[in-house]
Amino acid sequence: MIESLVELQNIGKIYWRGDAEETALVSATCSVKPGDRIALVGPSGSGKSTLLHLMGGLDQPSTGSISWPGLGTCENLRPQKVSYIFQMQSLLPPLTVVENVELPLLLGQIEATKARKAALETLNRMRLNTIADKLPEELSGGQAQRVAVARALASRPQLILADEPTGQLDHPTAQHLFDVLLDSLEGSETALVVATHDQAIAERMNTIWQMQHGVMEVVTC
Amino acid sequence: MLRTWFKGILTYRPGRLLGSISGVALTVALLASLGAFIASAGASMTQRAVQEVPADWQIQLSHPSDAKAVKAAVGKATPYTALEQVGYADVKGLIATAGGTVQTTGPGKVLGISAAYRANFPLEFRQLVGANQGVLVAQQTAANLHVKPGDRVSIERVGLPPSEVIVDGVVDLPNADSLFQAIGLPAGAAPQAPPDNVLLLPDAQWQRIFGPQAAVRPDSVHTQFHVRIGHVLPADPAAANQFVQQLAHSLEARIVGRGIVGNILATRLGSVQADAAYGNVLFLFLGLPGAILAVLLTMAIASSGANRRRKEQALLRIRGASVQTIIGLEAIEALIVALGGVVLGNVLTLAIHRMFLPGNELIGKSALFWTVSASLMGFALAIAAILYPAWKEIHHSTVVSAQATVGRGRKALWQKVYLDILLLVISGVEFWRTASTGYQVVLAPEGITTTSVNYEAFVAPLCFWLGAVLFSTRFLEGWMSGGRKILARMLNPVARELSGVVSSSLSRQRLLIVRGIILVALAVSFAVSTAVFNTTYNAQSHVDAELTNGADVTVTGSIMSAPSTRFGELQALPGVAAIQPMQHRLVYVGNDLQDMYGIDPQTIGQATNIANAYFVGGNAQGTLAKLSKQPDGVLVSEETVKDYQLKLGDKINLRLQNIKDHQYHVVPFHFIGIVREFPTAPKDSFLVANRSYIGQETGSDASEIVLMRAKGNPEALASRAKTVVSSLAGAKVTDINSTQRTISSGLTAVDLHGLTRLELGFAVLLAAASTGLILALGLAERRRTLAVLAALGAKKRQLGAFVWSEGLVILTGGSLLGVILGLGVAEMLVKVLTGVFDPPPEVLSIPWGYLVLLAAAAISSTAAAIFGTNRLFHRPAIEEMRGL
Repeated sequence: MIESLVELQNIGKIYWRGDAEETALVSATCSVKPGDRIALVGPSGSGKSTLLHLMGGLDQPSTGSISWPGLGTCENLRPQKVSYIFQMQSLLPPLTVVENVELPLLLGQIEATKARKAALETLNRMRLNTIADKLPEELSGGQAQRVAVARALASRPQLILADEPTGQLDHPTAQHLFDVLLDSLEGSETALVVATHDQAIAERMNTIWQMQHGVMEVVTC
Repeated sequence: MLRTWFKGILTYRPGRLLGSISGVALTVALLASLGAFIASAGASMTQRAVQEVPADWQIQLSHPSDAKAVKAAVGKATPYTALEQVGYADVKGLIATAGGTVQTTGPGKVLGISAAYRANFPLEFRQLVGANQGVLVAQQTAANLHVKPGDRVSIERVGLPPSEVIVDGVVDLPNADSLFQAIGLPAGAAPQAPPDNVLLLPDAQWQRIFGPQAAVRPDSVHTQFHVRIGHVLPADPAAANQFVQQLAHSLEARIVGRGIVGNILATRLGSVQADAAYGNVLFLFLGLPGAILAVLLTMAIASSGANRRRKEQALLRIRGASVQTIIGLEAIEALIVALGGVVLGNVLTLAIHRMFLPGNELIGKSALFWTVSASLMGFALAIAAILYPAWKEIHHSTVVSAQATVGRGRKALWQKVYLDILLLVISGVEFWRTASTGYQVVLAPEGITTTSVNYEAFVAPLCFWLGAVLFSTRFLEGWMSGGRKILARMLNPVARELSGVVSSSLSRQRLLIVRGIILVALAVSFAVSTAVFNTTYNAQSHVDAELTNGADVTVTGSIMSAPSTRFGELQALPGVAAIQPMQHRLVYVGNDLQDMYGIDPQTIGQATNIANAYFVGGNAQGTLAKLSKQPDGVLVSEETVKDYQLKLGDKINLRLQNIKDHQYHVVPFHFIGIVREFPTAPKDSFLVANRSYIGQETGSDASEIVLMRAKGNPEALASRAKTVVSSLAGAKVTDINSTQRTISSGLTAVDLHGLTRLELGFAVLLAAASTGLILALGLAERRRTLAVLAALGAKKRQLGAFVWSEGLVILTGGSLLGVILGLGVAEMLVKVLTGVFDPPPEVLSIPWGYLVLLAAAAISSTAAAIFGTNRLFHRPAIEEMRGL
């Protein structure tokens, strides 16, 4: 039996806005296995990002339990076992493209020369080597997100969590970015969970998890 | 909308708002306090000058019969509080018989004063022995004649037979120079030495004795009015001087042909005027950089929110807000900062005033002027720091993008035209020019009422300061751009595996980092230069006081009642570290009467500091050893050497008074060295010889001076010494602290201690603010970057590497640069303001204690900012990102 990378049991998440309680997630139970391609769809505020944050260990659940049988403990997930791709521009402004890409490797205490080599290889693979020395402010929105994808891939993680990575891009650019991401993962056991509003992107995944008012429903498997 | 915006600013931007308010408050408080100090210093200088003048005017009458008319004219010219008629008579000499020998003096003066004179002009003479009324003899004259109360003195009148009087008391004439000044001499004429022999008689007795002399030799007798005018004077010394001169001119116009006015008060105010100008220069040199720094700090704090402000403006514009609306909204922030800053600044000023200037009224005209001006400056600063960038943002967004703090950047205009190099060259040239004129910053020509400040002298330090700052900026930007690898190596202990990426990050943010370094450097340099200047000033003031006083505690008396007769008792006093007797005799060098000091060269240094600078050749030990080896050796002052064309090794015959016959006899000496200055000695002409030789040749080894080095408080020792010598007639005990407070330099009238304490306090605050606050605000601006790093998986230590590296680069770079810059500025200030020092310092004095305090403040402030930022890491990264 293949061991799950992450397992969620009756997970609930409540936020407090002052004295008001806001339920973001209600009793979600699911798991992600190696090689999974999962799309998380649903309207804004339905709990997609919350679920991703919990899966990546970026946040703590209010109820239920979460474990990472195939990855280890929560403290050791990032940056090497789990990578994150954010919707908003998340490259560090004072670092060049190659420095941004090698950053998770350095944070994972990979030797500097090896980190640089791996980062350059990733950029080459994604045909971004020409912009390796550019600063984020010198990139277009599409280029910046491609670099963010490269950064997520560089450390060869077992799980990639992408929170609406194409949300700020036009449709062709979004498709192209997704092509790049899927191509890069072709044949790899790295699982991918993508929160998206884009139906076309969702349809390219194996599984779709539908979110509605914090309640999750598996649509396709 | 305005209300919502106002609420939003208070709720979501309290840090930046408080920072800006603090910056404006510091600027307002510094300017207002400096102004209050300038005003109060001027007023206290005028007040002190007035108090120190024994008689404001001495009006010499053309004829005694004009007295009534002149007195009436004085009353019309100005209200007065005292007016005394004083008779002056020249005499051929004075004769006294004491101990079987007859003593005869040279020519002298006999004054006739009323019984009320002493009460009206208490500073003119000091009672030493006997009565304070009747026939009084001056101390030196009493010594020459060997008379005491009850003895008879014969006055050798001019053109008439002698007249005899009985001495009632012995007095000191501390203001003999002004009492016997030649009235009516043109300004700049050489000063006249006061007479060696003086007798004071009651006016009726004087009239009886010298009325007949006036009839036969009217040229030998004259009459003066001594006047104390009403002291309602302007506070500023220059204005007071001008006012007093105008009063005197008014009187002169009324008494033309009947008398001439000797305006002693104006002369005193004139000399104080130069001191006041120096005081203002000091305030400017020491205070202005602090105010500039506070302005820069406020600008930096306000600009730390520029990115967020830019985004807010963009959102407002997208939603259709007009330029006017946006400016109006920004004006709310400016108004909050202005009002908060001005109110806080004034509260701070009040606290400072109570702390440093107790007793002085803050609600004076000038204080009010400074408070209002500083408050207006605060308003202008708030507008310049917040509204102007907002306006620029709206109108020149392309310029803003070019000014991005991250990026490859373009050279600024000043860098392209090498303004930094130009300023440094100008500074060098101006410094050389100022040096070539002998560093004459304050020009106070004799006889001219106005004192001018040579503002050109400011150019050198100002250009040095600006040039060095710009050059440092250029250098640091260049180094941070090209020296990434070196920086990475330096950061390795802190950032470890991330040192490369951290150094790259810092390098690309070099505009921000260099700005932080420069602000810290400016704050540190301000603190260092002020502290070093102040310490050097105090050290020199101490040297000056020690030279004047002689030692920590000095007992002085006369040969007849020498303090050395109590040597054993003085030596046994608790708190005495070392004690040395020193003779002070008068010696004729040719026809000049000069001071001669008899010392034991081998041990004198135990009781007082004998500096190398006191001797030509700069070797105190060598010179004193030479004197010790040659019993008849003598060290001669530079002026005497020049006047008498002496050469080393010359045998010189001096005349010293012998105790046995009270006559002056020739004593041979050998000239072995030149002395510039010596404890208790006058600045011009004096000699130093072996005490044993003088004792042997004069028949008395009594020492008129005893020098004492104190173990603890000199004032306490002085008080104990006073009880020991209380029975010695005319013996005086002085301590170095009192001397330093009262005489060392005219500038002691300026409360430099208050000013420097204030500035040093501000400097510490500014240093702490520029290190901690700027770092904290910079890091707050990069919270998003840090949150992304945390989301990527950076551990707390790794996040700390970014924060600590930035903090350490700013703190270390700024402190190092600041110390170098501060020492440079202090050196330049000491050179340019050399007129303030007496004697000029050989080296700068370093205030280590203060520097440690400064370092502690900067380090604590940096640590507080870093730990404050580190606290953010305890929150989940995504929560932090969501909040931004």
